[in-house]
Amino acid sequence: MSIEFFLPLLAAAVQSGTPVLYATLGEIFTEKSGVLNLGVEGIMMIGALAAFVTTMLSGSPILGFLVGGCAGAVLSGIHGLVCLVFQGNQVVSGLALTIFGVGLADYLGTPYIGQAAPGFNPLPVPILSKIPFLGSVFFNHDSLVYISYIIPMLMWLFFRYTRWGLGLRAVGEYPPAAIAGGLRVISYRWVGILVGGCLVGFGGAYLSLAYTHLWTNGLSAGRGWIAVALVIFAFWDPMRAMVGAYLFGGVMAFQLRLQAAGTHVPSSLLLMLPYALTVMVLVFSSWKGQGTEAPAALGVNIEPPD
Amino acid sequence: MEYWNIEHYGRWNATKPITSTGHHSIASEVNGVLYFRSFLFDTNTLFLYSSQLKKPCYNLKDGVATNQGGLTMRKIIIVLVFLCGFSWSLALAADSSINIGFVYVSPIGDAGWSYAHDQGRLMVDAMEGVTTSFVEAVPEGPDSERVMLNMARKEYHLIFATSYGYMDPMLKVAKQFPKTVFMHCSGFKTAKNMGNYFGRMYQARYLSGMVAGAMTKTNILGYVAAFPIPEVIRGINAFALGAQSTNPNVDIRVVWTKTWYDPATEKEAAKSLLDVGADVIAQHQDSPSPQEAAQERGVYSVGYNSDMSKFAPKSHLCAPIWNWGPFYKEIVEKVRKGEKVNKAYWYGLDHGIVDLSPMGKMVPQDVKKRVLAKKNDIASGKTKVFVGPLKDQNGKLRIAGGKLASDQELLGMTWFVQGVIGTTQ
Amino acid sequence: MLRFKIRKRQEPLVWSSCLILFGALVLSIALSAVMLALQGKPPLDAMVLLFKGAFGSRWAVQDCLIKAVPIFLCSLGVAIAFRLQIWNIGAEGQYALGAIGATWVALQLPDQPWFVVLPTMLAMSFIAGGFWGFIPAILKLRMRANEIIVTLMFNYLAILFLDFLVYGPWKDPISFGFPMTREFSASAIVGKIGNTELNWGILLCILSGIAIGVFFRYTRIGYELKASGENIRAARYAGLPYDRLVILAMVLSGALAGWAGFLEASATINRLQPSIIVGYGYTAIVVAWLARLNPLYIGIASFLLAGFRVGLENLQLDLQVPAAFGGIMEGLILLTVLMGSFFIDHRIELRKKL
Repeated sequence: MSIEFFLPLLAAAVQSGTPVLYATLGEIFTEKSGVLNLGVEGIMMIGALAAFVTTMLSGSPILGFLVGGCAGAVLSGIHGLVCLVFQGNQVVSGLALTIFGVGLADYLGTPYIGQAAPGFNPLPVPILSKIPFLGSVFFNHDSLVYISYIIPMLMWLFFRYTRWGLGLRAVGEYPPAAIAGGLRVISYRWVGILVGGCLVGFGGAYLSLAYTHLWTNGLSAGRGWIAVALVIFAFWDPMRAMVGAYLFGGVMAFQLRLQAAGTHVPSSLLLMLPYALTVMVLVFSSWKGQGTEAPAALGVNIEPPD
Repeated sequence: MEYWNIEHYGRWNATKPITSTGHHSIASEVNGVLYFRSFLFDTNTLFLYSSQLKKPCYNLKDGVATNQGGLTMRKIIIVLVFLCGFSWSLALAADSSINIGFVYVSPIGDAGWSYAHDQGRLMVDAMEGVTTSFVEAVPEGPDSERVMLNMARKEYHLIFATSYGYMDPMLKVAKQFPKTVFMHCSGFKTAKNMGNYFGRMYQARYLSGMVAGAMTKTNILGYVAAFPIPEVIRGINAFALGAQSTNPNVDIRVVWTKTWYDPATEKEAAKSLLDVGADVIAQHQDSPSPQEAAQERGVYSVGYNSDMSKFAPKSHLCAPIWNWGPFYKEIVEKVRKGEKVNKAYWYGLDHGIVDLSPMGKMVPQDVKKRVLAKKNDIASGKTKVFVGPLKDQNGKLRIAGGKLASDQELLGMTWFVQGVIGTTQ
Repeated sequence: MLRFKIRKRQEPLVWSSCLILFGALVLSIALSAVMLALQGKPPLDAMVLLFKGAFGSRWAVQDCLIKAVPIFLCSLGVAIAFRLQIWNIGAEGQYALGAIGATWVALQLPDQPWFVVLPTMLAMSFIAGGFWGFIPAILKLRMRANEIIVTLMFNYLAILFLDFLVYGPWKDPISFGFPMTREFSASAIVGKIGNTELNWGILLCILSGIAIGVFFRYTRIGYELKASGENIRAARYAGLPYDRLVILAMVLSGALAGWAGFLEASATINRLQPSIIVGYGYTAIVVAWLARLNPLYIGIASFLLAGFRVGLENLQLDLQVPAAFGGIMEGLILLTVLMGSFFIDHRIELRKKL
């Protein structure tokens, strides 16, 4: 267990954590407005497909990435339609959206399986990547990873210091008060759903444009569910989401590397590591009382006024 | 040249040239409507003929249709709907024809195992008087039993089930429908009306191992593998033996991903092998992402399922590939003639059911020659892959000197040969 | 000019609600038909095929009932927890643990008669599934750990544990190294009813459905559970034993999912293998909410959903519709039904602007 083992491991942790990080941030944004969207897995798949196809046709990964986000927003718009307009149950709507999104992506994506498209490649940051240790772990990735460093900070500032951010939180905490304060609660929730869906779509796009440069059925392979779990793990804090995503990615990469190093532990047991660790960290930090509660109105629809 | 009439949508005929590689048919017809499937790996060309214009109207290349004749916009749109639709169908059963059902464990779009079988199915479908159908993404267990029961009730004559877990359900169904012929892939049970079949993929794996062994400089080969089942373990062992035949000092490191379908994890697994010094990455996975990982590091890779050189032209050495079509055609012919097929078919390089894709430019001529010579030897039966003395990782003698591993031993192989680093659990 | 006004109905609709749901169903089927037509598949025939495959014959109905069993039990289980506003999404893992528990008994007692083996399997799967619900409940109460994340992670852990067992210590020595346990002895297999394909698991479903219904309606604890779920704070003030109720609900919830695992392993597969995991635990959540947590509706919804999935195979076989299309259609149906149910609780008033 030397530095040669750990440096690539930490770099891998950052990279494999990034798609989950995007999705987690998106879900945090949505949940802060009081909407629970369990459709993350489906939205990621659609985002990944849209990004891949756009990149393949246009040759521009940047355009593909943006289209992936838009596709995510459009799909999560269905969730908005069901929950905000038709007052549908948010849990069922989200799960239905996952079933729908995964099906749709598989269905539309079949002709693109096995096609090659350009994508994002590593782009070391000029000076920062020369920093010993930190440089190779954090600043020797593709540009989408760097963007994902900035988004949590922006989100943190947004929720804490901007009027809109405070409004969004108010809508998620106690809608009657927000209404009394003159906020257009439904519009806030729409923003929460669409922006969140866009970020989740980015997470999918990262998988098909940067992590790998290909499209296949089931590309997200359960990462959407991990993101849903990490939101709670992060106690709805975007900065903590970074820690959660990298920890999860890191442990996953760690078990693969242990195998490559020639361990004799059965792989099923090694694969339990990330999940067991997530539970342990969560239990420990909840027990220590670090946790904050979920947005109080999470999952509760806002009835139209009489 | 075969001609199809498309009565519903104008007065045209379609011609269907068999594609360059000879593996695929890409269209089928129902009630006079032509259905197309756009293509995954190969470049295919499909012509639609207008019997009025006497020249090709459409040219389908890589899923893009271009108009070459004069046709109304409406017709173009109708045809484009079909061209864009990645769907096809089968002709409804005619009395004289034989009906064949296929059961797949994953969607055929997986570009891997089920895709390879479906390519075989399409070849059978192109035969005279044969109609085929399939159900994809069928979980092993009770769901598969129901699907096979349904096929048997609908009087399918012959049913192919292409995953190991279908074995017991198929046996149950076979007992209930003695007139239907059942064929199970990758298992070991037979019945009066049920046979089984598989391909000796390990022979092609051995050849790919020879190439990898010759090309490595660090003497470490990485192998990204899906699940520790005998089929995969056998492939790893054959790869290791092949590599050791060209490079006695070589080590093979194995990482299990426990998934067939997760390109991101597969790539991460490949990277973890690269980080411990592997400079050739082989895989028993369906996605080409391990190839990408190798190319990004500037080292070599060995594909699987089909020629994956498209994804990593600089690093792709070769790939052991499947080619089920000839075998399926053979069985269908036999069933049509009323011959019994209730035995175990385990074909290899000799029948072309497995093969090695063309080797890349970076492979030196002498290595190529040696590999191809070996291929002929294996195909003709002159050399065998698993010949004793073979010891496992712990040095225990598994196959005695001079002895040949029996098919039973190969089928139930759960140990690694010496030189492989990893666990079979 | 017309203006809309949406009002909550004072009394929810009763019979018209069936009509509304039916309308929503028709709408989603029409949408799917359009998609089929775009592919050049005959949409009407397709719908007939789908219906025939699901309910068109004695076999089909039997197949649907068999497939509905695990969905029903898991769904009944999660519904109990949801009543208390405990978000148990761990039915998948509890189902896996139940199957593991039952299999352990079957492997330990190969030579005992069925009246010893089956009840022991029933009890063991109850305990194992219940245990997998009990831990998140304790962690929630003692450590304040969120149950959504714990139950979700426990799903992965349970499935991987199952993997470990069938790839390792429980692997059948004559399976040529394939991951599956030995086939259960005849006495460990839940039998079939008469000369049908149905097994006695159906009876277990009916009985537990009735029991849960009665439990919530007529017993004090059931009433307390319901009351606590509706308002946790009020329930605590009223002196209801909230903590104990949470544990009870989670254990029952897990145990029912565990039974589903037991029946699937024993009656339909006759052994334990990784393919026993097909996502019933997640389907169950959808079914439970769609049925508004009512046991009878859960029964109907799981039968219909099972029928839909069985019928789709027919569609695949006869028209070569890709499997992914099923997901699209299922999602559409769920979404439209969900939107349709808006009109059960609300009415839209049109009035002229003055």
